[in-house]
Amino acid sequence: MMHSRDLQKLEGVLSPSHLEEMEFARSLRQSKVSVKICQYSYDLLIQYLHKTQSITMLGIVNERINFQVSPGQPSSISDDADVFTLVGSGHDAADLVNQKEIHWGLLEDSLEERLEKAGDRITDSDKADGEVKDGDLEENKIQPFKFTCIFRLFFVHVQKRSADGGKGGSMQKKLKKDKVVATTGKASRSESSTTSGAPRVKPELTLPIIPTEVEHSILEDLRNRVQLSSMTLPSISFYTFINTHNGLNCASISHDGSLVAGGFSDSSLKVWDMAKLGQQTGNMQFSPVGHYFASASHDRTARIWSMDRIQPLRIMAGHLSDVDCVQWHANCNYVATGSSDRTVRLWDVQSGECVRIFIGHRSMILCLAMSPDGRYMASGDEDGKIMMWDLASGCCVSPLVGHSSCVWSLSFSCEGSLLASGSADSTVKIWDVTKSLKVSKTEENKNGKTNRLRSLKTLPTKSTPVYALQFSRRNLLFAAGALTKIA
Amino acid sequence: MSIVPKETIEVIAQSIGITNLSPDVLPAIASDVEYRVREIMQEAIKCMRHSRRTTLTAVDVDSALGLRNVEPVYGFASGDPLRFKRAAGHKDLFYIEDKDVEFKEVIEAPLPKAPLDTEVVAHWLAIEGVQPAIPENPPPEVLAVPSDNGKTAYKEDGIPVDIKLPVKHVLSRELQLYFEKITELTVSRSDSALFKEALVSLATDSGIHPLVPYFTFFVADEVSRNLNKFSLLFALMRLVWSLLQNPHIHIEPYLHQLMPSVMTCLVAKRLGNKFSDNHWDLRNFTANLVASICKRFGHVYHNLQPRVTRTLLHAFLDPSKALPQHYGAIQGLATLGPNVVRLLVLPNLDPYLRLLEPEMQLEKQKNEVKRHEAWLVYGALMRAAGLCMYDRLKTLPSLLAPPARAVWKSNGKVITTTSKKRKASMDNVMQQPPLKKLATESPMGVTLANSLPVDMPGSSSGYPTIIGTADSNLQSSRNENVPESSGRKEMVSGQGPSTSAALTQAWKDDVDVGHLLPSLYEYFGESMLSFVPSPAASFFL
Repeated sequence: MMHSRDLQKLEGVLSPSHLEEMEFARSLRQSKVSVKICQYSYDLLIQYLHKTQSITMLGIVNERINFQVSPGQPSSISDDADVFTLVGSGHDAADLVNQKEIHWGLLEDSLEERLEKAGDRITDSDKADGEVKDGDLEENKIQPFKFTCIFRLFFVHVQKRSADGGKGGSMQKKLKKDKVVATTGKASRSESSTTSGAPRVKPELTLPIIPTEVEHSILEDLRNRVQLSSMTLPSISFYTFINTHNGLNCASISHDGSLVAGGFSDSSLKVWDMAKLGQQTGNMQFSPVGHYFASASHDRTARIWSMDRIQPLRIMAGHLSDVDCVQWHANCNYVATGSSDRTVRLWDVQSGECVRIFIGHRSMILCLAMSPDGRYMASGDEDGKIMMWDLASGCCVSPLVGHSSCVWSLSFSCEGSLLASGSADSTVKIWDVTKSLKVSKTEENKNGKTNRLRSLKTLPTKSTPVYALQFSRRNLLFAAGALTKIA
Repeated sequence: MSIVPKETIEVIAQSIGITNLSPDVLPAIASDVEYRVREIMQEAIKCMRHSRRTTLTAVDVDSALGLRNVEPVYGFASGDPLRFKRAAGHKDLFYIEDKDVEFKEVIEAPLPKAPLDTEVVAHWLAIEGVQPAIPENPPPEVLAVPSDNGKTAYKEDGIPVDIKLPVKHVLSRELQLYFEKITELTVSRSDSALFKEALVSLATDSGIHPLVPYFTFFVADEVSRNLNKFSLLFALMRLVWSLLQNPHIHIEPYLHQLMPSVMTCLVAKRLGNKFSDNHWDLRNFTANLVASICKRFGHVYHNLQPRVTRTLLHAFLDPSKALPQHYGAIQGLATLGPNVVRLLVLPNLDPYLRLLEPEMQLEKQKNEVKRHEAWLVYGALMRAAGLCMYDRLKTLPSLLAPPARAVWKSNGKVITTTSKKRKASMDNVMQQPPLKKLATESPMGVTLANSLPVDMPGSSSGYPTIIGTADSNLQSSRNENVPESSGRKEMVSGQGPSTSAALTQAWKDDVDVGHLLPSLYEYFGESMLSFVPSPAASFFL
């Protein structure tokens, strides 16, 4: 049932005042519904309505329905995203927004790029002269670095909005509703093959400087990276939280897999050092190493924060319902948000404007992931559907269907060729990104048939819903979840 | 229309003290209540999703209320889902049991167990895309049907999951060929020269260790299936023999699998065709095999030899077992060494021989085959007993010192000539076995304390008077053994007046051997003398 959730919501409407009050009902009343119909069926419908003199029906049809008449044979309703976009300010507005130009490319002068260059130079100089090589490396070392990429932590925090509004500005941390993605200028993670063609953009935010040793470790990781593709699947290390007593709300894994953090419903944050397995390092608060971070809130906004201010730098307002997840773009100039209003929006960090609206999900968006080259975005919803979006066009490139329950987490492999998804149905699925992109270009309308090509592997856990996924810089996949008893 | 009936509103209104509620208001309130409750529940579902859960709890409702700035409902926030009970007599009426709890009980109750602390365990969900079959991962049956959730459209999604077995044993192609060749030879062409070559190869090849478990299984399997194929059994035993000879392989871990088949070949009731096949040979061969195994691995597996001997002894002492089985058991025990024979076989010799005797006599046992078997068993027994005696005599050359000669000789004569006296000595021996058995039931070795009274019941009377008065002893005692032993004793004490502990031990053994020979002579007659070592024999003859 496609609209079961909507109908469930509307069931509650019992009086005219409810209609006024309910956001969803209001938006339905304000917008027209597009219905695709073939010429013949359309003619039959109109004929019938005229013949039977059903003026009321005709009035409703005229007022509410926007027929898109297509020539040819009648066909079954295709699983077309457009049909279901009932929510929001309507298509036209979204289309307008999506006209705006965005620069999805990676930042100029990223670490990886430098690594490649250095590698090239080394190989070149190997042929030519040893001294030149030394000089180059030296040069590499003293260059100032602009971007950090150390941890990406998920915090769950509440910005408590007190009723009296007196302390609206102060930010109280509490594990509950809002999510903060601490990010940092993400040093580009990309593959030469995929990024060489990608445009480079200048950073619009001033980004902090990475310490040299951290930067060295990143370079080391990049050198040791395993190339992943549909043929070479990643190894997955799974961290299972046991005895959580239903209290684990979120989990996160550091980039090298050595630290595992869990956020609990009693507002505690526990961090485990996996090098000393079984020993808990004590309750502590991770300080996000990144300079900027974003938060999503129940008040329908997303906010950008800086470490040195108590006021948000930007407030992104526009969603029609709670904002459930946020994700930084690879070049840090944009932030994507997923909301209960079933849309994903992309915001320009500098201006705070909404630059893209992605419409197509049929339920609450639970997680987002950006491809390392910054061109694509994946979003997972409550029904288990994952959608891949092209940021430039704002179109869905391919829906990935297979999970039977909420998709809690998504992660792209470092070269962007694989997408891993973790779900409440206790499975980790690996999807082939390159294939799903190609397929959608060639045969756009045959979604059903190509589905099984895209899912590379389903890896079930015993009975552990997968809360978090994280590809390490060396392309090892970490997953975490809390063991739950099967009822 | 509304799920919430207006009666409910009325009841609740009354419960909070509003009694004069107009009936017109009730439906309006009911519909609004439903709308609000739905709203809150939707909010609660969102909270549930954010807490990464799939079951709605009271906590979620509380936080949903909190988000709307409504005071939460207190008293329901427990970690576990609430248990609803159906009210008796009503179909759709549920309630949560709320027991009255006495303060006293709560205070006096012992502290509940502390809940287990949260921990993190790591495991490999997949290694290069393949799920290892470890306990942390779901069992292979689950993996085999990954997407059986009724969605036919995605039934064949993904590539089938292949599972790595926990331990993968890889046999090289060459080893597989080798194994096939050897087994084929063993089964079908065990009399060819090639099989001999194969045995040599098995005994010397350094690279066949990976095949040991396969050979073990092969032997066990073939023996259990082919008990009537004599040549195959023999070939298998030779194969085992060769494997045991091989210095490069480590066969200990597989011994426990090998031993049953070997023992079968030793004491089985029927091995091959009863008439045409010479299963006695096979039993002899296997007996040696068992002995060599015990010798080689006895120190590694301390219970190996005891178990073997127990099995053999059971076969030997069970009169219901067939004679070939007895033969196998005797041979097995004999190869395990003279000590085993002395401790286990000799005590039972007399009753056994009495059983055996009728089988051997022409007039009592008409069946020639049976008679033949009985004679073979008799031969085996004789050999075992004789070897045992031989061993005793050989290790104690000192007791064959000249002074003893006369005594022995005379004794010999006495025994062989006088039938009455023989009977007397028989009585003496008859007394001994039960006592001896008592002693030997405690494992293996005869301890000094035990053996003292046991070994010399006959001589105990003469013991205090030994010194000097040998002649009186000889005359006074009705027992032939006593003069011998006392004579020897005298001799020992004469040789070394300082009777050390070691000597006492030796002396005790002497006593044993002293009457051993005559009693054996009793049973087996002249043929026993052939087992007496040649230098020693001269003393007797």
